[in-house]
Amino acid sequence: MSPDSAPATAVLASGPRAGAILGDRVRVAWRRLARRPPAVAGLLVVLAFVIVALAAPWLAPADPNATSWSAIRKAPSWAHPFGTDDLGRDTLSRVIWGARVSMQAGVLSILFAIAVGVPSGLAAGYYRGVIDQALMRLTDAWLSFPFLILAIGLVTILGPSLTNATLAIGLGATPTYIRLTRGLVLAKREEDYVQGARAMGAGDFRVMGRHVLPNIVSSILVQATVSIPAAIIAEAVLSFLGLGVQPPTPSWGTMLNTAQAFLEQAPWMAWWPGLAIFALALSFNLAGDGLRDVLDPRDY
Amino acid sequence: MTEFLIQRSLISLVTLLLITLIVFTGVRLIPGDPARVMAGTDADPAGIEEIRQKYGLRDPIPVQYVKWLRLALHGDLGESIRTREPIVRLVSHKLPITLQLSAFAMLIALLVAIPVGVLAAVRRNTAWDYLAGSVSLCGVSIPNFWLGIMLILFLSVRLHWLPASGYVSPLEDPWGNLQRLLMPAVVLAAQLMAVLMRQTRNSMIEVLSADYVRTAYAKGLRTGIVVFRHAIRNGLIPVITILGLQLGALISGAVITEQIFVVPGFGRLILEGVFTRDYPIVQGVVLITASAYVLLNLLVDVSYSLLNPRIRVQGGRGES
Repeated sequence: MSPDSAPATAVLASGPRAGAILGDRVRVAWRRLARRPPAVAGLLVVLAFVIVALAAPWLAPADPNATSWSAIRKAPSWAHPFGTDDLGRDTLSRVIWGARVSMQAGVLSILFAIAVGVPSGLAAGYYRGVIDQALMRLTDAWLSFPFLILAIGLVTILGPSLTNATLAIGLGATPTYIRLTRGLVLAKREEDYVQGARAMGAGDFRVMGRHVLPNIVSSILVQATVSIPAAIIAEAVLSFLGLGVQPPTPSWGTMLNTAQAFLEQAPWMAWWPGLAIFALALSFNLAGDGLRDVLDPRDY
Repeated sequence: MTEFLIQRSLISLVTLLLITLIVFTGVRLIPGDPARVMAGTDADPAGIEEIRQKYGLRDPIPVQYVKWLRLALHGDLGESIRTREPIVRLVSHKLPITLQLSAFAMLIALLVAIPVGVLAAVRRNTAWDYLAGSVSLCGVSIPNFWLGIMLILFLSVRLHWLPASGYVSPLEDPWGNLQRLLMPAVVLAAQLMAVLMRQTRNSMIEVLSADYVRTAYAKGLRTGIVVFRHAIRNGLIPVITILGLQLGALISGAVITEQIFVVPGFGRLILEGVFTRDYPIVQGVVLITASAYVLLNLLVDVSYSLLNPRIRVQGGRGES
């Protein structure tokens, strides 16, 4: 509770040394990762999707929302490699722009979950007692709402939009991070270096921020690589059901929603957005599996 | 044991109370007059006044909560804005359909996941194991609604093997019922199967390296007997817990599959509720699902402690 002021703790985790250790860790991690081709492939595909999402305006061959009455539901051709949809829009361009929505929803929702969950979990695990009990019962109740039911409830209150879908996905993932962080903190707070830092007079915030947090970051990162693909699929599901992104904004989920009505006449409308979600989620999971082996070999 | 049961039940009770509190607050967060929200936008003043009386909407919020909770405990979750049907009756009509679909899906998932998971553990680090691992990874990564659309595209639109959508009661036409539920059940099973497969493999690997399994091998027993007599019993215990935790995913999945395959169950009810702004339906379904999830997990934990006496001594699964 006291603000950290003890100069002695500075020796324990001084800036440059901590930096060097981190650099070493990254190098070791990279070498371990390089020995896992599926993980490297996954990572590369994820990076490719990130680039596609960022460079969508330059990569997309056409305006994703430009309709054309003369090009309705055309099969894939040179002019439209992925074909066109029911309003004559270029499917390739819409898939490219859809990457943006998916990445945004997937990453931002999990960042939200981490931003809320990790500090709460830290507090619960560090202070224990009433805060801990209250938070645990709250997460129990929270986790009892199946994700989609929670999202439906929230969207009913807030109205459907990409922001609200992202918020709903983030809120759905938050209790996982509270529990994960709490469990990790419980294990770490009894370690000698934490006890040592406290004995030297480090305040609560310093102990949590400088000594506990750095040691649990990798586990949280590993969890994030599992949650992000799940969040990407969740956004697609919500948009597919009409609870997320609203037309005409291109999103893989809404594209599949439209495609379902034209399966007989224009099956290509259903192939590409789904393949994109599948490829992105699969690559994330592959990269995540590799990262898990690399970052904490002991924990798993 | 009794102490564990009491402690575990108390936790569930607190959770249930919190759930009701969250749902109650959620409805109050909908912008606008709660009476108008619950009666519908085109309700007459008399209808609105009736709702106001019933839920005591002029009372202080805590009193409102108690009133609402008492009604809910007596099975009164209000009525649909559109059809004026009581929510409980609506749900009880739709629930059997979803339950049948879920049970079917769970059966498929277990029938595939357990044998394959055991095989992968026994033949660890062979082609079988890697194949099972890849299937499991794909199962987690594939968006189930897309899988559903692809199944419709190939099995219904192209090959005309199965009807693309709809539902008939098993009492009227058992064969037609199975035909129509097969694709939704497979779609609903996909993710569960992937998770269960991975869990079965991991816990079987752990069990297979235990001392008593080594002893069994040392006695000269054949692999088949060691695996099926000795290892599998303990190896499948964690799978039960995972099954309990996956119920939430199963409910979410049911909403999606019912929407794709036009199965008139629970999931479609709540989606219709959202799109027609029928708040009492949404509220009722959310409350019922969350409560069911808590009670089912209580059941899973209790059966788990019966199967595994160690857990009773430690005082509950994991941390609490």
